[in-house]
Amino acid sequence: MAAPNPSTDPNTNIPEYEYADANSNIFHIGSFRNEWLNRLKPSNYSYEQEDEDTFDANFAAEMGISAETLSDLKSICSPDSLRCHAEDQQPDTEVVPPDSTLRTLEQRKKRQDYRASLKVSKNRHDLYADELERLTVGRKPEAMVDMVPEGEVILTINVYYSVTFENFSTARPHVTLLMTGSHSLAELRDAICCVSDLQVCGEFSHTPDMAPEFISKDLYKSAFFFFEGVFYIDMRYPECQDISMTVIEWAKSHGFPPYSQAKMEDTRFAGLKVKVGFPYLYCHQGDCEHLVIITDVRLTHANDCLDKKLYPLLTHKHRVTTQKCAVCHVYIGRWLTTNDQFAASDPCLFCDKCFRMLHYDAEGNKIGDFMAYPYVDRGAFN
Amino acid sequence: MDFCKKHVKSDCVELLSRFQGSESVRFQVFSKIWREMEFSQIFYGTVNHREQREFCRLILDTAYTFFLPPYSFQIRVGGLYLLHSLYQCQITSPREQIRLALKDWEDVMKLEKDAVNAQHHDAVYILRQLMLHKAFSFTAMPTMLSFKKKRNVKSLELCEEFMERPSRPQELINIELLEELSNIDELYGKLKTSVSSESEPAYSSINLIRKDLVPQLRSTVVDFYKWQQRKSGPDEDGNGDSGEGMSSQQECSRRAQLLASIKSKAYGEATEASKSRRHRQVEVDFTSNVAGPSHSLRYSRTNKLSLKARTCENVHISGDLWKEAGETTRIKCLTTVDFASKVHSGKQNPVKRFKW
Ligand SMILES: [Zn+2]
Ligand SMILES: [Zn+2]
Repeated sequence: MAAPNPSTDPNTNIPEYEYADANSNIFHIGSFRNEWLNRLKPSNYSYEQEDEDTFDANFAAEMGISAETLSDLKSICSPDSLRCHAEDQQPDTEVVPPDSTLRTLEQRKKRQDYRASLKVSKNRHDLYADELERLTVGRKPEAMVDMVPEGEVILTINVYYSVTFENFSTARPHVTLLMTGSHSLAELRDAICCVSDLQVCGEFSHTPDMAPEFISKDLYKSAFFFFEGVFYIDMRYPECQDISMTVIEWAKSHGFPPYSQAKMEDTRFAGLKVKVGFPYLYCHQGDCEHLVIITDVRLTHANDCLDKKLYPLLTHKHRVTTQKCAVCHVYIGRWLTTNDQFAASDPCLFCDKCFRMLHYDAEGNKIGDFMAYPYVDRGAFN
Repeated sequence: MDFCKKHVKSDCVELLSRFQGSESVRFQVFSKIWREMEFSQIFYGTVNHREQREFCRLILDTAYTFFLPPYSFQIRVGGLYLLHSLYQCQITSPREQIRLALKDWEDVMKLEKDAVNAQHHDAVYILRQLMLHKAFSFTAMPTMLSFKKKRNVKSLELCEEFMERPSRPQELINIELLEELSNIDELYGKLKTSVSSESEPAYSSINLIRKDLVPQLRSTVVDFYKWQQRKSGPDEDGNGDSGEGMSSQQECSRRAQLLASIKSKAYGEATEASKSRRHRQVEVDFTSNVAGPSHSLRYSRTNKLSLKARTCENVHISGDLWKEAGETTRIKCLTTVDFASKVHSGKQNPVKRFKW
């Protein structure tokens, strides 16, 4: 198989910046994990909390200090030493302190005043983002077998929805997924929701009930990821085609460096060589392309979601403005019509209910002349 | 969160500048400054939970940069205290962790070792406490990276005032090296006397190494250091006794003090400085490709000599060492023509030279 081998040179698996603040150089994720584990004591990354008294005793012994000195040290370094308010006063942490000399707070105060003048209130999506996080933080599985093991790596992966470059620099709608080193690329693929997988092809004005039966995901299963010169293709189903071969052959005939191939389902993240922060490609439905950026690779922490079954874990979802029904302006459009005498525009969007009420009689017979195409809104996953 | 990056950094710099002014590495001193500035409040009044978390991430990532080379020992300890204090005082629940990148691990271990050797118990205690409470997240890179096209070059700039002066000589000729040299010198001397007859002890053909090599080497470096201190400006009257201000509470042996002062002066310029140079190279390369606002960079480049140029001005190193140093640093701003001419034109500062 053409999957890249882990390098034997240990230093190449200690990631450095390739471009400052932009992306890392290439490294092997599994070896990177081992580099960390070789340096750390198991207690450093254990989910268990070590005993404070044992720590104190060890520390005093190692430093050669008396119990008295240690207790002085503890009081000097206690959280109380950082308290900026009187002990009997609880500050209101929701409010920006008015007379701070900190420049950050001066700025925050200005912003707060400005926002107050606009009367913006917390919207649904802000609440939803909070919700996503609260549900999974520090979550432990019911059964021990589902526990993400200590010392496992967690990857943070952004999948972007608008791939055109002009768009990419300004608005960058994306989802963020957490995955572990033992996940395969096929599992990442299955976790990526894209409307083009749900697009229904064809005109269904005579048989609207038939429409949702065929969706693109079932029809066109082929897809690939492209990381560091390797096409990882999905070959899990007999209908899958190797859609990367065309590119590989074209590249070969045009004198580009050789590209290779591996199977998505056989490739685990731990076995992958990547750059953190570097844009890679996911391509499906023939030409629906998404940028994929691994923004972080790190060891697991006790505060992470530790239930394997909840991974791939969605931690961020962009908001997409939805196209509403032209009649009720309430529901998301489900049907797109053309040449429609009942419509105010051409094409026109309708929710399922309004569409049927307007275009069919009580027996479900088509009234009038029009074409109807099932429509899946970009915001359908909100 | 980019909107407040600049302000967050400037608040951190202000705190650390005051700490630097105290000439201390005591946590007590740090926490007093923290309280005076009411720094805990920096977390108050964010719009929502998510902004709170993002802000916490930003300020921890900012503080982290001061915990690492090329900054001086004192600033790095200040950076450690800052990380600890921010970690303690954040109001995000569960706490946001301090990201620790694999490539920085050696530097952190070295800082810990130096703090242990110099018996800075508070610094060691705080670092170990952070480990104990799982305050660190062991990561690939110091920050999350999402290929931002618009990079904030300004935020990458290093704070020159927090760095040590070039100290290659002190770095090269440290206590370990002097001990090693004197051992070898002694062995060599014995070997010579064992092969030569007792009648002619001062036979010149075997006197290849000058006498008192080690003390001479040491005093030359000390001279250089004193000269450097004098030259650095009249506003700094550092006669060697500034250093790291030990509190009377902590008993410090003479050796530890000596070691600490040498370490802090010579703080890892060899490895760390090269890292900082690489850092600069990247900045320069990047802006010159983008053809954007490279103005400020060019300005600072002409205005300020590179670390290497400054070192070169201060000391003349002959032989392979220099060649080697030249080979490992291939950086545009270091190899410009005007720099080369400065080296070879013979315009040398009145520095005592020492030869190998
Ligand atoms: Zn797609
Ligand atoms: Zn409707």
